[in-house]
Amino acid sequence: MTRAVIFQDIYWVFWREFKKFTQQRARILMIVIQPLVWLVLMGNSMSGLTRNPAAMKMLGTGNYLEFMTPGIMIMTALFGGVFGGTTILWDRRLGFLHKMLSAPIHRAAIPLGKLMSIGLQTMLQALVIVIISLFLGVHFITGIPGVFCLLLISGLFGIIMGSISLSLAANLKSIETLMAISNFLTMPLMLTSNAMFPVNAMPVWLRAIANVNPLSYAVSAMRTIATQGWFFHQIWLPVVALLGIAMITIGVSVKMFYRSVS
Amino acid sequence: MNNIIEAVGLTKVFPGGLIAVNDISFSVEEGEIFGFLGPNGAGKSTTIAMLTTLIKPTRGMAKVTGIDIIKQPYQARLAIGYVSQDLAVEDALTGYENLKLQAGFYHIPKAEAVKRIAEVLTMVELTDRAKDKVETYSGGMRKRLDIACGLIHRPKLLFLDEPTLGLDIQTRREIWKYINHLREEIRMTIFMTTHYMDEADSLCDRIAIIDKGIIKTLDTPATLKGSLGNEIVEFTFSRGSSSDIETAIGHIKHLDFIEDIKFTEERGYMASVTNGESSVPAIFEAIHDFPVTIGSISHTQPSLDDVFLHYTGHEIREEKVDKESGFRNRMIMRRTRK
Repeated sequence: MTRAVIFQDIYWVFWREFKKFTQQRARILMIVIQPLVWLVLMGNSMSGLTRNPAAMKMLGTGNYLEFMTPGIMIMTALFGGVFGGTTILWDRRLGFLHKMLSAPIHRAAIPLGKLMSIGLQTMLQALVIVIISLFLGVHFITGIPGVFCLLLISGLFGIIMGSISLSLAANLKSIETLMAISNFLTMPLMLTSNAMFPVNAMPVWLRAIANVNPLSYAVSAMRTIATQGWFFHQIWLPVVALLGIAMITIGVSVKMFYRSVS
Repeated sequence: MNNIIEAVGLTKVFPGGLIAVNDISFSVEEGEIFGFLGPNGAGKSTTIAMLTTLIKPTRGMAKVTGIDIIKQPYQARLAIGYVSQDLAVEDALTGYENLKLQAGFYHIPKAEAVKRIAEVLTMVELTDRAKDKVETYSGGMRKRLDIACGLIHRPKLLFLDEPTLGLDIQTRREIWKYINHLREEIRMTIFMTTHYMDEADSLCDRIAIIDKGIIKTLDTPATLKGSLGNEIVEFTFSRGSSSDIETAIGHIKHLDFIEDIKFTEERGYMASVTNGESSVPAIFEAIHDFPVTIGSISHTQPSLDDVFLHYTGHEIREEKVDKESGFRNRMIMRRTRK
């Protein structure tokens, strides 16, 4: 098999996933409404609380919405990715997995195509959040190139969560179990990170957890880009760490998928 | 005639020790419709899964279109078509998009794909509905689309797993027509599984009866039915005390054209006869002097049901299923009944 063929196979798996995604009107509506709810309700109520010098110092910006926007982008990527594994369980349940496996496509193309679709979906969701936040008066200090980097990091994080979810799915039989595990994972991951609250405001033990939570890596890099500028010394390390994590989780998910179908 | 499938000692033991398929050997000739007949859980789908390279046999070997399924799974996949019992078409996409996706999976270049999609759509008569989403299709249309997906790369050999599972009788007939058409018009070899007797009887050139992972017998439907030999007369009594009936039966038993009489709750007395339809008036004549009256009587040819009963010792029945496969079965039902 030539290398070009696997890219072709990934493309077609991706094409199917993404096409299905664009057909789900209710889901697309939720993608717009959910961040709107978070930013308008949570963002605005917190803005009142944080309009004082002590809070501003901890946030690193005078506007809580600006602080929160990268956090919401990552939260959306987390939710988008973590349920990504369900598609493979649906494929199994509906027999489409067997249809793909009986075709001469490269096995690895199935998880990789799905991850590609998750990555692009997450980037589009992040773009929706950027647009909403612009309407709410959020200013992105690094402009369009900065926003583009925010989208890329969101997509990368979506892929990480997606590959964890796919790895779990490969070892589980039922969609319900995966949903339960994914639900269980999301809230603690979210609340032990710096997505919503500044690390400086946390008790020491929580701060220790927040500092190793991969969600925090993504958020701090994005927050620097969004609110402070191109401070590469603060950006490169979390990004490299995320890339490393992504390589590992993608590798594991492909391996797990191989094992589950052989 | 060349053998298009050749299976020798094919065995599949699942983790946990369940022997789904136990040392089966058979061959399928080019151009025939070959059927695996058996109840759910008999090993039919496991056999198909091995032949289509979805699972690896524990022991044994098989060749499809001359390609070894263990040594060259990739080449085997290119050469065969597979239509599962799951109705695995994508509801959210149109019929055309489903076929486009399938063509992509088989690496068919774009221009060629357009040509072939038109070709298979005509074959299953779905050209008018190609631009509609599959969720608006009936159960029969979905099945036809699924079959079309299996044909896009022009395989010489097509595997159909329970092609009419869950469909109503009219739609089943319609699907049979398409299957027959494939064999007659494009000379495709078809390997199918079914647990419907009538389906095996009307479609298949040869049938293997499989039960608990073992091939019990393998032949043409006519030969299988003929192998039971005798025809059957079923009758019940409408008048007569049980002792009188007993004496009458005792008398009938000794008539020279009666081989054997059995009694079953559902079907009454079943006499195996050697003189065909003339046995009916002969039985009437024989009991004329007894104080009993026959309420109903019928003469039947042995059916594949009888053949199945004869070779397996039981009727086709539902096996216990685990939660996930039970769920899948219900999903299939729900989707076909649309």
